[in-house]
Amino acid sequence: MVYEVFARTSRGEPLRNIGNLNAPNDELARIYAYSTYDEERWFDMWVVPRDRLLPVFNAEAGTLLER
Amino acid sequence: MPAPAPTIELSPAARTATRDLILVLADSKRLLGMRYAEWILGAPELEASIACAAMAQDEWGHARLLYALLKDLGDDVDRLEHGREPAEYCSLEALDLPPQDWPDLVVLNALADAALTTQCEALLGSAYAPLAQRVEKLLEEERFHAAHGAAWLRRLARAGESARGTLALPLTAALPALLRWLGPDSPRAAALREAGVVNATGSALRARYLERIAPLLAELGDAAPPRAPAAPDFAGFDEARRRVSTHGPDAATVARIRGDKNRVFLMD
Repeated sequence: MVYEVFARTSRGEPLRNIGNLNAPNDELARIYAYSTYDEERWFDMWVVPRDRLLPVFNAEAGTLLER
Repeated sequence: MPAPAPTIELSPAARTATRDLILVLADSKRLLGMRYAEWILGAPELEASIACAAMAQDEWGHARLLYALLKDLGDDVDRLEHGREPAEYCSLEALDLPPQDWPDLVVLNALADAALTTQCEALLGSAYAPLAQRVEKLLEEERFHAAHGAAWLRRLARAGESARGTLALPLTAALPALLRWLGPDSPRAAALREAGVVNATGSALRARYLERIAPLLAELGDAAPPRAPAAPDFAGFDEARRRVSTHGPDAATVARIRGDKNRVFLMD
């Protein structure tokens, strides 16, 4: 399963997507994110399964997407 | 951060036991680091390889810190790191041979690393201040190792009978030796505890260790190792090296961790 990784370098800054990873479950996804994206001193970090990102809109469709 | 406890004067017996304990931990961490490093290429997924690289680096960092402490206790650190034969190593017996497969490594990660951590935790607040200062940072990094080992052990345990079955043999081989490694309730161990260098020894450490790994063992079902006897068999146990076997790690591994091929670069 693909997980997207989000992090920020200081409190109050918006979360940004810093990459993704493959993991078989949530537990290993968190662990892999910790060791894979360890080059910066992050304030916090989050992972979410890519299939839990809900599409809203894109430029080609030009309008609210159907689910 | 609280100020470190003042260094106390150690009795000769406590001093020797402290020195031996530090060497046991340093050697074990160096070996464990090498065992992790062997899987940087070849773990079941790229992310697990990266985790092995991180754990290998951590363990070598810990080993280096610990070896450095031995200078104050009268050792030639350079010789310890680069000049010993396999039979002089004081590393965990569970680390003597390279893991045969990934489940073998997962068992080391989940159980052997946890035994080292249990021993290191007994040094928190140590009256031997240089140790107390270093174990705190080291234990912080160990939380990641424990999480990785536990997650993988659970993954294999839940992946069905054949995956779970791959754990049975390494678990059954490792656990009794790790329980024995925590040592007997001997006069030597008591001297360390009474000097305040450690806050637990022998059977108290074993109880802490079993409590730590109990949630993991509970998930293993039919792959769980047989219940270990309350007191290990200490026949032939060398307390200084914490080993029964008089051999050490395999010679090829020792040549690598000693840096035999890089000797020419040891310039100062």
